[in-house]
Amino acid sequence: MTLIPFAWVRACSRLLGPLRRLVAHGWLRESDVDVVLKLLHPALRLNRVFARVTQRQWVADDMLELTLQANGNWRGAQPGQHLQLYLERDGVRLSRSYSLTAVQANGRVQIAIKHQAGGRVSPYLLQHLAVGDVLELGPVQGELSWPETPDAVLLLAAGSGITPLLGLLRAALAQGFSAPITLLHYVREQGQRAFAGELQALQAQYSNLQVRWSLTAVTAEAGELTGRFTAEHLRSVTALPQCRVLACGPAGFVAQVQQWWQHAQVPGALQVEAFTPPAFNAVEGLRAVRLGFARSHQQMQADNQRSLLELAEAQGLQPAHGCRQGICASCTCTLLSGTVRDMRSGALFSEPGQPIRLCVSAPHADLEIDL
Amino acid sequence: MRADRHLSAAELDAFGHELDALRQRTLAELGEADARYIRRIRAAVRFCCWSGRGLLMLGWFPPTWLLGTLLLGLGKILENMELGHNVMHGQYDWMNDPEFAGRSYEWDIAGPSDFWRHTHNHVHHTWTNVLGMDDDVGYGVVRLFPEQRWKPFYRWQPLWVTIQALLFQYSVAIQHLRLDKVYKGKLSKAEVRPLIKQFNAKVLRQWGKDYLFFPLLALLIGANALAVLAGNAVANLIRNLWTFTVIFCGHFTEQAAVFSKESVVGESRGHWYLRQLRGSSNLNGGPLFHILTGNLSHQIEHHLFPDLPARRYAAMAVEVREIAERYGQVYNHGSLWRQFRTVLRRIWIYRRPPVEAVPVGA
Repeated sequence: MTLIPFAWVRACSRLLGPLRRLVAHGWLRESDVDVVLKLLHPALRLNRVFARVTQRQWVADDMLELTLQANGNWRGAQPGQHLQLYLERDGVRLSRSYSLTAVQANGRVQIAIKHQAGGRVSPYLLQHLAVGDVLELGPVQGELSWPETPDAVLLLAAGSGITPLLGLLRAALAQGFSAPITLLHYVREQGQRAFAGELQALQAQYSNLQVRWSLTAVTAEAGELTGRFTAEHLRSVTALPQCRVLACGPAGFVAQVQQWWQHAQVPGALQVEAFTPPAFNAVEGLRAVRLGFARSHQQMQADNQRSLLELAEAQGLQPAHGCRQGICASCTCTLLSGTVRDMRSGALFSEPGQPIRLCVSAPHADLEIDL
Repeated sequence: MRADRHLSAAELDAFGHELDALRQRTLAELGEADARYIRRIRAAVRFCCWSGRGLLMLGWFPPTWLLGTLLLGLGKILENMELGHNVMHGQYDWMNDPEFAGRSYEWDIAGPSDFWRHTHNHVHHTWTNVLGMDDDVGYGVVRLFPEQRWKPFYRWQPLWVTIQALLFQYSVAIQHLRLDKVYKGKLSKAEVRPLIKQFNAKVLRQWGKDYLFFPLLALLIGANALAVLAGNAVANLIRNLWTFTVIFCGHFTEQAAVFSKESVVGESRGHWYLRQLRGSSNLNGGPLFHILTGNLSHQIEHHLFPDLPARRYAAMAVEVREIAERYGQVYNHGSLWRQFRTVLRRIWIYRRPPVEAVPVGA
């Protein structure tokens, strides 16, 4: 049901200040306010960010770009960042991270979604999400940013790693960045060259931009490269003077780029972002530990290699969680006793009562968590 | 009173595994239907509360005042029992929906949710009916089992229980403050002060809503503020009496067992299950009755599986009962009236000190 036009939804937001204060101090329950606001417009909420799909456009055989118009609670984002997008399936609110391919004023953003075979979210979004539908957006995160120096820029993308880089590229070109830019995009086959049409048009418009593709699963056509990332590819596309490199893609690709960067000794700087969680350094040998779940009254023989989230699920528990990468903090849980290791940093935590993220914490010594 | 078969360690393990398997089977089935159910319950809560408050604005006219009061009372019962209590157990955490997140839900009752999550979810559910560890056994004002040490104060316990029933929401709320420990000097005032602050803030909000805001609103729109005030008070009273009745039937019926601190040292999973089964009692009734009790009518299943959605208990009860019988354990159940009568009898009997065994011929 929609009682007010979407244009009013953003304007309404400021008027809701008094209600927000009442909710913040516990005089009102947020969900009771939201249920009324939802009647006015499905995208209207007190604090949560909801957005309306205003456009959908295929940018590759397996990638869709969505244009979203967020409600007044949207606090903005920078190109190169990614946002959480929520979708309820079978009663469970799932969340996935998608990179922003464009950030415009007035809460209008674009994200690109790649089809993940067997996934629970992307196939649904690609097939069923229609213009006019409303989705919840979560926190915006990510550190990738366009270099502030006037040096040449090398963009290395693999698969859907193109999305944050495209967001950065579009913004930089629009702001008149004039140093040479080279974009090298690794895809499996021709049809996956996401945004190819737009990139070719940009290349024609801006003489400082050069775009090349490398096909990893099929033989390349004229002007394209073949195979996975190698240093030769770089030599063939750019002279590699002093340059700033931004790389984004699956963890394996990013690791290769980092390795190359360390050996090549190119003056400049490297920024990377990986999609899949990096394979954690198993510096410690496999060890058995006792893991207790206080609220569920369960004990298990665990190991120190898997995350607490995986261990809990293996035990049949279903902890609240979101991204499974240590981003969204949905799985935050209290450590009651024992020691955990942050799998990303290797840091140890043993403060009782400390909130820990299950998805990136592994047991270090016998422990109990409030789950 | 209970004719339970003693279980060997191996039997206890097998017993635990069977209940674990039932738990896993149910977990695997959770989905859309459970999410839809809890949202419908919340819609019913809203309908009852809002329509009840609306009707109370029509003043003392008996049909509307009575119906409004009943609806508001019913809304509060549903909110406290089937919605709040169950959500706060984390039964719907798997939905990942912030509106049903057990860690942050705040219910419509005097006691702050944080207090409840500790005294109930953690203490009571871990140490169910263990004397000296589970403060829910008599809430410190009632002696219900001969194993509890008698104090002169218990002589008047029928009176204390009546007062407790009438003010049940406050009785539950102050439990976490451990005023007994403060009185005995085991807990410093400085330690309790932040809790009292939190307690006062919650009670103030509840009173502000029921006894100030809505009566004032009535005044503003020219309705009868006194009728609104009275309706709110009676609705809260109805809720207090109902929750008291259901909760006292959970663990203090004739066939409910209590345990010593020593008996739970090094307790295995199977033993924990067994203690939950022996310490809890069910109430027979239809689907609507179960919803009104927040499915605490399936107290046994609730205590075996506190974090599974309560709407699943009815189906699980069939299997739990079969397992209990196979292992020679009493499955304590009965009608609300029959069970409640045995609770009242306990309150009456154990108000007296235990009779000293007088040697013959002395």
